[in-house]
Amino acid sequence: MKINSNSPPAGNHRLQPSDSFPFPRHLLGRLYLFGALMALEYIFCFANRGLSPGHLKIFGATTDVYGQIPLFAYLVFLGFGHSIWKAQKENILFGRIFFGIHLLCMGAVLSITLATQEGMGWLLFDTSGYIKSSLYLLGTILLALACVPPRGWIRAIRSTGLLWLYSSLAGVAGWYLGTPIRVLWTATSTAQSGLMQTGTLYAVRALLSVFIPNIFIDPASFTIGTSRYLVTIAAGCSGVEGLGLVLLFTSIWLWYYRKEYRFPQALLLIPCALGCIWVLNIVRLCALILIMNAGGSEMAGSGFHATAGWISFIIIALMFSLATQKLSWMRKISPDASCASGEPQSDGTETLPGASTQLSQDRGESPAIRAYLVPFLAILAAAFVSKAASGEFEWLYALRFFAAAIALWYFWPRLKGLDWRFGWLGPVAGVAVFLAWMSPAWFHQQPAASPMGQALAALSPAARWTWIAFRVAAAVITVPIAEELAFRGYLARRFISREFDAVSFSSLTLLSICLSSAVFGLEHMKNLMDWQHLLLGTLAGLAFSAALRWRGRMGDAVAAHAVSNLLLAAWVLGFGDWAQW
Amino acid sequence: MKSFLKYALGLLVILFTTCATAHALAFSRNPEIDPSLAISALTLLAGSLAVLKIRRNK
Repeated sequence: MKINSNSPPAGNHRLQPSDSFPFPRHLLGRLYLFGALMALEYIFCFANRGLSPGHLKIFGATTDVYGQIPLFAYLVFLGFGHSIWKAQKENILFGRIFFGIHLLCMGAVLSITLATQEGMGWLLFDTSGYIKSSLYLLGTILLALACVPPRGWIRAIRSTGLLWLYSSLAGVAGWYLGTPIRVLWTATSTAQSGLMQTGTLYAVRALLSVFIPNIFIDPASFTIGTSRYLVTIAAGCSGVEGLGLVLLFTSIWLWYYRKEYRFPQALLLIPCALGCIWVLNIVRLCALILIMNAGGSEMAGSGFHATAGWISFIIIALMFSLATQKLSWMRKISPDASCASGEPQSDGTETLPGASTQLSQDRGESPAIRAYLVPFLAILAAAFVSKAASGEFEWLYALRFFAAAIALWYFWPRLKGLDWRFGWLGPVAGVAVFLAWMSPAWFHQQPAASPMGQALAALSPAARWTWIAFRVAAAVITVPIAEELAFRGYLARRFISREFDAVSFSSLTLLSICLSSAVFGLEHMKNLMDWQHLLLGTLAGLAFSAALRWRGRMGDAVAAHAVSNLLLAAWVLGFGDWAQW
Repeated sequence: MKSFLKYALGLLVILFTTCATAHALAFSRNPEIDPSLAISALTLLAGSLAVLKIRRNK
């Protein structure tokens, strides 16, 4: 299908069925589906509940046999078998009956887990955990058979030789070696102190001594600071979380784009990225102490402490991504136009004419993505800056409004081609979303406590109303436009085709609407177990998508979103229910 | 030698990644970690990477 990348954002082309986002029908897709569902069910059933489906003593230590080892063994199995199974294109039937029974098993497992967590005695007949463990095991086996029939599993295992054995050993090794490696960041029965905590402590002292002459340090408790404030470098603050995230990101990145890079040269970037994130963590801790010493303890403790770590990770990940694109010595194919002509590279190698062009066309995103995503990304980036400079109360909220407004102004020449008109369904959908969003609050006599009301009351009237004006303006103008462009304009259509701007808003599929709405719901969660906002956010996404699909106009979705946010703002200001913001 | 080094380093990365991931659940139980912040950060990163990966030969 011919696509004109310079076409208006809302094209009217209908895509061929082959361009849609299909349910996986081949072996490889089904194996990935099984892995994804298994991991999701494990997380939803057990993670963050302090509970695990089953334990077994291995080498003298207790492990979660149904969780960690199988999940990581399967990850290795998939990673190494991917290229072999990719060639198998035979259609596989999905076992609906197996899947249905599997859902019943998992429902029972989740019920028992919740009953254990909530202390509901009448459901605690399974004190030993055997019933739960057996149901979880049975449910997982049924899921495996639903995704891939027994003959498919046999074929997958036979075609990869002894990979099943190696991946099983890798799963056990990953779990078993994890314990000694953990000595690096935390005290265990065999090591009384974390090596990384010690290293971080002395590095912070070295950097801090440049700014402050008299530094207090206690290596026994990992405490460091000034005469005014002391901080303790906990295991999590030693930088290990950033190292883990960067290691995961860089490994996945190099694996996914492995055809573009030369190995082992490309692997050199991993230790460079790890070193950078560790140094940035030192800088973060020093800045934290300096801010506290200067009197900004609330800002340092509430906002800067958490956001600075994520900002560091995002910076390193983006720099890594740019480095892999710019460093010619680690690339097999240069993205530059000169390479497409077959000119020799600086190191003497030569690329095939048109090779980079083809690769770029295969992997690259549509240029229209900038107009749809950048306003929303600007809001997220401004939110990080604003939170890092705030305490409990985000007094720099206006930054979010200005960031989105500037981005929308910049991309308006491209966005003005969209149909911004709206009909009656948009506002009606907005009212319905507002009523659904507020429904849990109507069961409470008193509004939930929030520090926002007290913080606003402490401001001068001018400052208070200025803050509220920008908060309402952002909620009613910039946020609806930016979020609708990102979630409905880009994401929902991106699930259908890479050339998303060629997909008409009226031709959104049920799957693309559900997936983009689920992601929209995720964005509105306040914690991992916040099912209420996940559900309400997803429902809101479905309503906004319906408004968009009705006449294929972006204006309807934005109107629905703006009306719901406007009503919410009126509720907050009218009833002082600040927790809704 | 080069081929051996490639696979050896690759396996090392997989091993360390597996170990780090194995303890990811323990990290997520850290009360100082704000999940909504994590979702925002990963969204910002994913979106920025998508924008950076646009086609150049447009």
